[in-house]
Amino acid sequence: MLGAMQTLRTPMRRYAENEELDYAIVGVGAGGGVLLQRLARAGFRVAGFDAGPFWDTERDWVSDEKGAHNLYWNDKRITGGGDPLALGANNSGKGVGGSTVHWASFVPRFHPSDFRVYSQDGVGADWPISYWDLKPYYELIERELPVAGPSYYPWGDPHGYPYGPHPMGGVGDALIQGCTKLGIGVSAGGPVAILSGSRADRPHCIYRGFCIQGCKVGAKASTLITHVPDAIASGAEVRANCMVSRIHLGGNRRVTGISYFDQEGREHFQKAKAVVVSGYAIETPRLLLNSACAGFENGLANSSDCVGRYLMAQAGNVVLGRFEELVRMYKAPPAHALTEEFYETDPKRDFARGFAIQTVGPLPIAFAKQMMTAKGAWGWGLRRIMMDYNHWATFGLLGEILPNQDNRVQISEEKDQWGIPVAKVTFDLYDNDKKLIEFAKKKTMDVMWAAGAQEVVQEARYAHLVGACRMGADPETSVIDGFGRTHDIANLFVCDGSVMPTQGSANPGLTIMAIAARTADYLIAQGSSIFESDRRVMEAPGVRRDLSPPDTWGHGMPTL
Amino acid sequence: MKRQQPGYYPGFRTLDQQKFWDAKTRQVILDRVHDVPPIRFFSADEQALMEAICRHIVPQDDRDAAHTIPILPQIDKRLYDDTHDGYRFEDMPPDREAYRLGLQAIEQIARHLHGKAFTALSGREQDELLESLHDGDPSAAQDIWKQLPVERFWMLLVQDCVDAYYSHPWAWDEIGFGGPSYPRGYMRLERGEAEPWESEEKRYDWQAPGESVSDKFTPLGGKEEHRGGPQGGTH
Repeated sequence: MLGAMQTLRTPMRRYAENEELDYAIVGVGAGGGVLLQRLARAGFRVAGFDAGPFWDTERDWVSDEKGAHNLYWNDKRITGGGDPLALGANNSGKGVGGSTVHWASFVPRFHPSDFRVYSQDGVGADWPISYWDLKPYYELIERELPVAGPSYYPWGDPHGYPYGPHPMGGVGDALIQGCTKLGIGVSAGGPVAILSGSRADRPHCIYRGFCIQGCKVGAKASTLITHVPDAIASGAEVRANCMVSRIHLGGNRRVTGISYFDQEGREHFQKAKAVVVSGYAIETPRLLLNSACAGFENGLANSSDCVGRYLMAQAGNVVLGRFEELVRMYKAPPAHALTEEFYETDPKRDFARGFAIQTVGPLPIAFAKQMMTAKGAWGWGLRRIMMDYNHWATFGLLGEILPNQDNRVQISEEKDQWGIPVAKVTFDLYDNDKKLIEFAKKKTMDVMWAAGAQEVVQEARYAHLVGACRMGADPETSVIDGFGRTHDIANLFVCDGSVMPTQGSANPGLTIMAIAARTADYLIAQGSSIFESDRRVMEAPGVRRDLSPPDTWGHGMPTL
Repeated sequence: MKRQQPGYYPGFRTLDQQKFWDAKTRQVILDRVHDVPPIRFFSADEQALMEAICRHIVPQDDRDAAHTIPILPQIDKRLYDDTHDGYRFEDMPPDREAYRLGLQAIEQIARHLHGKAFTALSGREQDELLESLHDGDPSAAQDIWKQLPVERFWMLLVQDCVDAYYSHPWAWDEIGFGGPSYPRGYMRLERGEAEPWESEEKRYDWQAPGESVSDKFTPLGGKEEHRGGPQGGTH
């Protein structure tokens, strides 16, 4: 059912609509997938609803750039502002596994400083939790995926990875060479959530380079293959092809369930004692805003007016360098080497926070579009530059863009195929962002020159989406508390990338999963009081190490 | 000079490796090669105009007739099916309308500059007209460009042409891209080395046809820094 190697051994439980769930989880991606698995293991009656399909990786996916189009959120959205974000394939998945199906799977942790940006730098915001609250969950998820990388990773809070680093492709070679010439530390072969050796029924990586088109091999982790199978084996239901349109509010300011459209366009209502929204940084605020009702005219759980605000993307400029010798960058995972040497605020620079430099590996269509903007290529120039595809290597910078209240998701007047108002995204860069990008761009180009490139060009773009339902200690300026519970409604939670108050310059996937595992521990520790009471316990739960999927434990770990 | 296969990898044919591809991928790629969709969205006039435009955006004069890659049928199919990339810029009309408006504008510019239809212009004149869109500096149809930012229309057009051309296995052969690679994978990752079934590069010099102006690189929209790239994730 899952593909060539993985199968689901147990039939999936089905809940009737009039059966009351303990938890209805909207979205089965990085956050929803991990949460579903944990809650099912702990014995809750839980179902995950996903707008997209339950993938059969062997029959549905292809080793083909254009053919992978259906992995992305392709429904209508409007994007605007002074620096409009590309959506769709750039950052939004649709289907069980969510964006982990098409992530490149770089999984660095956030640094301790990321949780105290306002205190340290006077910009952005502080998180209501610290790195040390998340650290045990980083360690858990790194084993559950598992992550391949060096045995000593030097940045932030130094740590090692359970699976060995991957061999270098041509782009990684260039990054190492460029960084080494300039005296910049570089991590080779990870951290990526790609198997460098087989584990249980998942084979090792075959270095075919189609990571972001969906890993048919099963070597790259996605919650579709890492957490959802165990969720189902533990009694969870995954209801695929169900587009949730509204969360219902009952008396006593508590939610009672969700409405959704099935594949045939029929509308259903599912009762639930509590609802978790895990739809990522656009669909989560869209659903809350579309669930406006008496008492919450401005959107459900939006008394703060923060739902949809403080949306963030990372600067993702791609720097392309042409080399005399061949590179053939389509081989090896796009993600396989990076440096976080410039991650932290440096008082010598004229901006706060920093950036990472990472390998990327665009396949021909993506590369041609980059050349369209980076060199203005079209016509014969485009044909000529594309004949040199194998001579180019590409680095992506990942720069921290600060949260701003005017970067936001709102509801448009336009509607989607179900008649649900679509999201309108507004995005602008501000002063610190522009300075940071300018510096990071130059530095990344310096590294490409130092690697021996004869020509270096770049294209401006963005990567990832987080924020828009941020967590915080103050209900006036945030949507949820440090455990994912909305300040306004005691049995409504958010668990995905939208909860982040700031984003660092690390890829967000691992942190989303770590937050989900912590949220799960909290919900499990609270037990049925979530369903019966509005009391808000703010004590951290103990870390449950017994809820990981099978095959997590009993492997060696490098010791620092 | 017309070739069966332009590019620096003579004799390299990804389709020769299809027995090493998985069944689903093989089906999708072979359908793309053998089942060229009919034109259903564009009218006959629009089709003629679009065909002329596509010949300049991704020119194929160096390919023999039997090995010309169909561009327009793929664009027409996308618009006929009304499939999207998951977002629309707030200052842009929907894609179908964008194409209809864009074609009208191109026709108006042709008549404004030369008093003739675009399809009646010389290759040079057609190339120069399209270059003015690339430069963000069209000389007529300003009413249309108010509803349809010229830079966004240009990118839409080029991206759609790129999708069609570089998704075709003959284009992979041309650029030396290995193509589908599951379940076999790759083993020679470093130093740009070829797999045993891939070809070494054999470069040669070539010139674009003399009437063309596109064999050069000038900034998109006439500006050095272009903000907000195209779709297609890389990281």
